[in-house]
Amino acid sequence: MARVSKIMLTDVPTLKKENRIEDAARLLTKTENGCLVIVENDVPIGILTELDIVRHIKSAKGSLKQPISSIMSSPITFMTPHTKLDEALKMIDTKRFRKYPVIENNRLVGLATKNDVVLAISDNMKFHRAIQNIVLILFVLFELFVFILYEPLKQYLGG
Amino acid sequence: MIRAKNMMTKEVIAISQNSSIMEAANLLLSKAVSNLIVVEKSAPIAVISERDVITGILLKKSKIKDVMSKNFKVINPNTSFNEISRLLRQKQITRFPVVQDNSLIGIITESDIVEATRDFTRFHQVVQDVILTVFGIATAFFLFYFSPLRVWIFG
Repeated sequence: MARVSKIMLTDVPTLKKENRIEDAARLLTKTENGCLVIVENDVPIGILTELDIVRHIKSAKGSLKQPISSIMSSPITFMTPHTKLDEALKMIDTKRFRKYPVIENNRLVGLATKNDVVLAISDNMKFHRAIQNIVLILFVLFELFVFILYEPLKQYLGG
Repeated sequence: MIRAKNMMTKEVIAISQNSSIMEAANLLLSKAVSNLIVVEKSAPIAVISERDVITGILLKKSKIKDVMSKNFKVINPNTSFNEISRLLRQKQITRFPVVQDNSLIGIITESDIVEATRDFTRFHQVVQDVILTVFGIATAFFLFYFSPLRVWIFG
């Protein structure tokens, strides 16, 4: 079974908790994955998504001067690079978040998203199914032999 | 065969291009969706996402038409799952309004596609496991039938 290290995004934008929400908003609109991680002395302490910012925009009527720490989600639910994909999926189904920082030795090493985990598992299943198909073909050939070829062959060899 | 109508989100939230970005933010939050469809005379003309709302606030825009995005593709309810996956992977289109007889009946986003892939894989796997089990038992039976073991046990 593949592990999180295989599917995680490694280029994760980070900010400090003192940065303002405006900085976060600017950085988020430039990144692919719609999420950034807040670090303190290189240790990840929080996560911020586009949804958090939209929620803030609604309540603050557009003011973006506050520090990020006021709206970030903390503490974080994280995975490690060694987490197996099926364990990752279980975690995703119980926690119901879409994005998980990947942490090793208290340092941020990547970001795992629900979509990437699910799609990677489906791809693994395709390989699994290919092997099952080969086994199935062997079984079917064997049964064909038993039902169609066995009697004539026995007569031929015996007679 | 899975088609668009089986995987789409039926509750689709539409907004006019002359509405304000704040209205869009309120709708995104109150309806708990990540995309709204901008419609004109009930036809989809653009989409607006959480990111577009943030961009709008940063650029001090006020109307939806200033920040809405054209990165979407209209599909019909019978478009196949494979076709939609292909568009997602090759063209990087992540939003597909579903239109039937000129009316908007649903939307498919990346997460709908991921959920459908998941269900599809699970279903496929169950069917395959059942078939494999049946043939496996039959094979085991015949192997036993032709082996000397049968003669030893049953004479």
